[in-house]
Amino acid sequence: MVRNIKSALAFVMVGFAFGLCSSAYSQDNMKHEKSAKPLATGTFHGDLHKTSGRATIYQQEDGKLILRLTSFKTSNGPDVHVILIAAKDAEDDANFLKSDTERVELGSLKGNEGDQNYEIPAGTDLAKFRTVSIYCERFNANFGAAPLERF
Amino acid sequence: MNDRTRSWTSRRKWLLIAIGTPMIIAAWWGFRPEKLWINNKVDEPAPFGSTTEIEPIYTGLLQGKAHQTSGRASIYGTADHGQYLRLTDFTTSNGPDVHVLLAQANDQNLKQDIVTGKLEGVELGQLKANQGDQNYDLPASIDLQKYNAVVIYCERFHAIFGVAALERF
Repeated sequence: MVRNIKSALAFVMVGFAFGLCSSAYSQDNMKHEKSAKPLATGTFHGDLHKTSGRATIYQQEDGKLILRLTSFKTSNGPDVHVILIAAKDAEDDANFLKSDTERVELGSLKGNEGDQNYEIPAGTDLAKFRTVSIYCERFNANFGAAPLERF
Repeated sequence: MNDRTRSWTSRRKWLLIAIGTPMIIAAWWGFRPEKLWINNKVDEPAPFGSTTEIEPIYTGLLQGKAHQTSGRASIYGTADHGQYLRLTDFTTSNGPDVHVLLAQANDQNLKQDIVTGKLEGVELGQLKANQGDQNYDLPASIDLQKYNAVVIYCERFHAIFGVAALERF
């Protein structure tokens, strides 16, 4: 009797372990035709120069990478640029010249408020350049940074 | 004003102007202080067609609780089929009777690994698979302001496998 219970228990244990170890895999497609795919996204933080909103990198059908800022707001300033930096994140007013942080220039900030798109140069390694920075080139100061997470 | 200072300033008036004006211009060019009040608004459309079908409405990263869980949960709206939840880059552990729910992010139950009370949530269905991209339809009447967290929940053991707090995209 005891042996029966023991073996039953063993069976249950094996079954349970099997349930945990085996894995089910699914691959649903999006429910519509897509013409671009988000690769990474993140939200801006920046207190000294109030910066907020979202940065998302999309890959278009032709392979081109686009950075899009949405619900975006920062303070206006002189010679402000959008850059990608080879860092996990950046603090307010960080000086990337001094810290010798590698950068990819995406262009002058088109507006300090509103949705906007920037082309990312072909061949940019997104695993390396994983943070978007709103950077004042004149004073070498980071207005706001958005660390990107995989989509 | 006495004679000496008057003669000093009037003698050097042009010199002061000649030095002062470029300094003021340089300072203005450097700091552009008027930009503190002047906003520069843009409103570019997305570089692809119908934005609501590519840009989600809400998104959040899954955090593992009772079991390791990672990936992204996003809510999309479609023109014809209503809203749906999509899990991408998703991995959790396999288990018995695992479901996908929407709950309230500030629910105390979500702070624990094992729910002791009753988790109030909206059932979206059984987890289709423990790895891979997957979609779940949302009920038409759901209030996403209230139910703002995605929960991967094992109904049998009341275990929270993972939670994603949703943020506006």
